[in-house]
Amino acid sequence: MLSVSWWCSATGEAWTWHWRAYPGVWLFVVGMVAAYARLAWPRRRQPAERPSARSYGLGAAGLVLIWILLDWPVGTLGSGYLMAVHAAQFLAFSFLVPPLLFGGISPDRWARLEARAGRRAAFRVATHPLITGVAFNLIAIVTHVPSVVDGLMSAQLGAFAIDLAWIFGGIAFWWPVLAPVPARAGGGLVKIGYLFVASMVHSGLGMWLLLSRFPAYATYELAPPIGGRSIMADQAMAGGVMELFGGLIVLGAIAIVFFRWAREEETDTVPVRTEPPPTVATIGGGVSSTPD
Amino acid sequence: MNGRWAAAIVSVILLGTACGKNEDLSPGGYVGAELSSPKPKPEFVLTSMHGGPYDFRRETDGYLTLLFFGYTHCPDVCPVQMANLAAVLDQLPSDVSNHVRVVFVTTDPARDSAQRLRQWLGNFDPSFVGLTGTREELSRVQVEAGVLPAVPDTAGDSASGHDYQVGHAAQVLAYTPDNRERVMYPAGTRQQDWAHDIPLLVQVQ
Repeated sequence: MLSVSWWCSATGEAWTWHWRAYPGVWLFVVGMVAAYARLAWPRRRQPAERPSARSYGLGAAGLVLIWILLDWPVGTLGSGYLMAVHAAQFLAFSFLVPPLLFGGISPDRWARLEARAGRRAAFRVATHPLITGVAFNLIAIVTHVPSVVDGLMSAQLGAFAIDLAWIFGGIAFWWPVLAPVPARAGGGLVKIGYLFVASMVHSGLGMWLLLSRFPAYATYELAPPIGGRSIMADQAMAGGVMELFGGLIVLGAIAIVFFRWAREEETDTVPVRTEPPPTVATIGGGVSSTPD
Repeated sequence: MNGRWAAAIVSVILLGTACGKNEDLSPGGYVGAELSSPKPKPEFVLTSMHGGPYDFRRETDGYLTLLFFGYTHCPDVCPVQMANLAAVLDQLPSDVSNHVRVVFVTTDPARDSAQRLRQWLGNFDPSFVGLTGTREELSRVQVEAGVLPAVPDTAGDSASGHDYQVGHAAQVLAYTPDNRERVMYPAGTRQQDWAHDIPLLVQVQ
């Protein structure tokens, strides 16, 4: 018998490998694709704005990943059966999807966004690292509070709210690192510091799951078991996923930002002109080059 | 180092939200549903998963006895109840866990052979005791224990007749060492609830 719900949630039903339909997930993904394509790959564009194959690839990978994370079986398992899958969803929404989506936007589109919104005060405030860092961590903490998880995951609307919060929390987290809009002072070191500090709570969540004596969430503790899984083993795996893979992704991002920054610094310090400068004349205490 | 520090902060925040959980304790201080008046432990003899007769009253005398009626093909409540009990008993100090007996009485004698019971319960805790008997014996025992007798739900199932579910009582009945039933634990009882109540129940004389 075909099971249809509009969104993945904890149902308390025994797990089976029978496919389940989630029309709400499909509609959401279609909406995301439409909105993203409009933003990143507009149909009416100048030849210079044509996205590269890399941009298409990264953006499409981000959208496909969203679909995989939300739909059966990953979405179903994560919402009501396996905490480790739930943790992997959080990790992917927070740390994998946003970089892919950002990577799909061409420099010209960023430039257009800069021209349209970059100088607006509200936009600058909303994308300030302090705001995005706090927002991401607040979302991470609130969506891991046991009473919140157990209260929301059993309802489709609640599970939808958590998924949505993770997607937007992830975008907020990566905005100051990956989005060139708005242009801000501060280079690689600021971004590295931001990545390190803003991801500490996520690391703390992983440790908390690893060190807990009892299952943190009734949703998974009381879920019909899959195979011979033990809830504490599942929880330890969830903590390990958060701690290990989350740490690796953030460390990888820090390394990339560092090497890019070091390369830019190196380029900036290379002398452009090796010949002696033309005649220099002092006028009124200032320094200027005289024309040839 | 930073991770541990962050974990401590996160723990304080997250566990802080769980405050007030124990405000719902029964008059006796239990998380489980305490009976207004304790009931005597039933007396019955069924077949043990090791083959011989098992005198429930005599074998469990002086122990905190947790009695559950279920079946090994159960997809949800039974494995969760058994897994949570096993996990908690594993964590409790031995001077507590050694005074606990978990007895699982099948409600599906057609499929739950002694070997099947041994194998299934052994996955959770080899010390758990599995009992079986004829359908009539098992129904009588359930009535004596004060739960509704289980009903096999065979309507609309596979032609083989082996793929059916059984409607059964989902609660664990807790008999304190003085051989009286004092508390019931419905489906949905969590490990932290058991960890709170078992040390208290073991001490009741």
